[in-house]
Amino acid sequence: MSTILTYIAIADGKIKRSSLEVLSHCKSLADAAGHSVEAVVFDANASNYVDGIKQYGPSKIHVIEDPIFKNHMNAPLLKALANVMSQVNPAVFAFASTEGTKDVLGALAANQDAAVIADVSSFSLTNDGVEAKRPVMAAKIMANTSATADKVIVSVRSGSYDLNESPADSEVVNVDFSFDESTMKATLKEIISATGDTVDLNEAEAIVAAGRGIKDEDGKALIAELASILNAGIGASRALTESGVYDPSLQIGQTGKVVSPQLYIAVGISGAIQHVAGMANSKVIVAINKDPDAPIFEVADYGIVGDLYKVLPPFIEEIKKIKN
Amino acid sequence: MKFYICIKMVPDVYAPLQIKEGELIMDADRMVLNAYDASAVEEALVLKEKHGGEVEVVCIGPAKASETIRKALAMGADRATHILASGDEEYDSASYAKILGAFFKDKEYDILALGKQSQDTDSGLTGSMVAEILDLPYTTNAVGLEVEGDQLVVKRQGDTGQEMIALPTPCAVTCSNDMNDPRIPNLKGIMASKRKPIDQVEISALGVDEASLTASTKVTSYEEKPARQAGKKYEGEAEEVARQVAQLLDTEANVL
Repeated sequence: MSTILTYIAIADGKIKRSSLEVLSHCKSLADAAGHSVEAVVFDANASNYVDGIKQYGPSKIHVIEDPIFKNHMNAPLLKALANVMSQVNPAVFAFASTEGTKDVLGALAANQDAAVIADVSSFSLTNDGVEAKRPVMAAKIMANTSATADKVIVSVRSGSYDLNESPADSEVVNVDFSFDESTMKATLKEIISATGDTVDLNEAEAIVAAGRGIKDEDGKALIAELASILNAGIGASRALTESGVYDPSLQIGQTGKVVSPQLYIAVGISGAIQHVAGMANSKVIVAINKDPDAPIFEVADYGIVGDLYKVLPPFIEEIKKIKN
Repeated sequence: MKFYICIKMVPDVYAPLQIKEGELIMDADRMVLNAYDASAVEEALVLKEKHGGEVEVVCIGPAKASETIRKALAMGADRATHILASGDEEYDSASYAKILGAFFKDKEYDILALGKQSQDTDSGLTGSMVAEILDLPYTTNAVGLEVEGDQLVVKRQGDTGQEMIALPTPCAVTCSNDMNDPRIPNLKGIMASKRKPIDQVEISALGVDEASLTASTKVTSYEEKPARQAGKKYEGEAEEVARQVAQLLDTEANVL
């Protein structure tokens, strides 16, 4: 019997849904193959999340509660991951793919002499490792990728798996850990956060994304209003984050965030392949664009050809009516 | 400051491609400098212009990769090392990281920069692997670099905001293409690049255990993405189609 270990990421006082998606998938893989699944959580208040993790059925939860994890820094995170990985010696260590994960995945693999496959959209166990599918070539095609090793690290794109509760009375293991901050060579000087209470794009059920068609504050206000009635996250194309119209952390695409919400509304976005690479796995895609030949319509389930300034007000009004 | 920038020759993702029996077929001549690496080169050149120093590029690749190296030299890099590979090796990120680790082991430098990922595979692993092998402080996904005294201050795009991280030198950083628009080499740069030195090094000369380069991950086959059902386009009077689609999102797509 082997162990599948999963990393549970915490953001803004909540367990990241994408981590629980990965845990759900690992639980079903482990159950099918007679392996055990364990989870690991690091946070300044890590014990707060133990009950939430138990709902997804790991046999053990390894906990490190330390204020060093208040903000993301790769040195303590890497040390903690390496400690737990050495102790548990899992056949597979699975992560949800986030910027925090991407920051340490390669280093952890090098540290642990493990094979690693990043950013997969699905994976399964083989006799001697892991088999995964991942988008490549600007997400135009899929590469079936295999890892052959005693230890395999995998990171999974958000939205790849459904949540599946399966409560267990997991054993809680408090891991000995100390990190002398004075030995840390890098220093975190400042965090420039995206404005206010925006919905985390990786977690959002719905996303309203703005593109070059948004020309002014009136356009931004329409985007904000539509997002607000849908309780949606706001995203943007590279054109708008580069020109400073939207915060860079809101960029969706090959370079920015890769998202897969239930509903994605692309407003004034032409649909360059780099953008589509970041959103093509959304369940339902709506595109609003005045150019009937815009490539975004090739991936949209519902395409509205028209001036977004004329389309959005009645669209918003109608959704409000439906919601009430 | 002495900069080393690791660059890679990659297929042009805009080139047409097709899949035949699991194999990826594309024009082998459509190779380019990885866009993320180009941003790393550009940023190093800007910092060199401000603070002085030297920018050297390092490329692992077959003989043909000399074209990619010339591109970086034409942009303004001072010199290059070409670590020769046959092109037939099935290297993965870890193989590249081990070769780079062996190359840099006894080199002196302040800043080691790489693109945050290759534009063909989007794995984004090699940078932090090299940092770990060399025990360097590092950060990834940089969208801005600044030299302050003997520190490198990196603006990094994190999950919910931008993190400003100060790294002592020597350090490693991986660069996003969001940090700049790489310069297009001009004629003068192209002419000058022909006189710039390119050292050629065989992998076997780096003292790396060649058995350890055997990839533990490999692509077994390629396949088409499951096609998205072509949707419907609604054209006509804005108010009418807007209300119609809103209704359909509720009654048909069931996502409201």
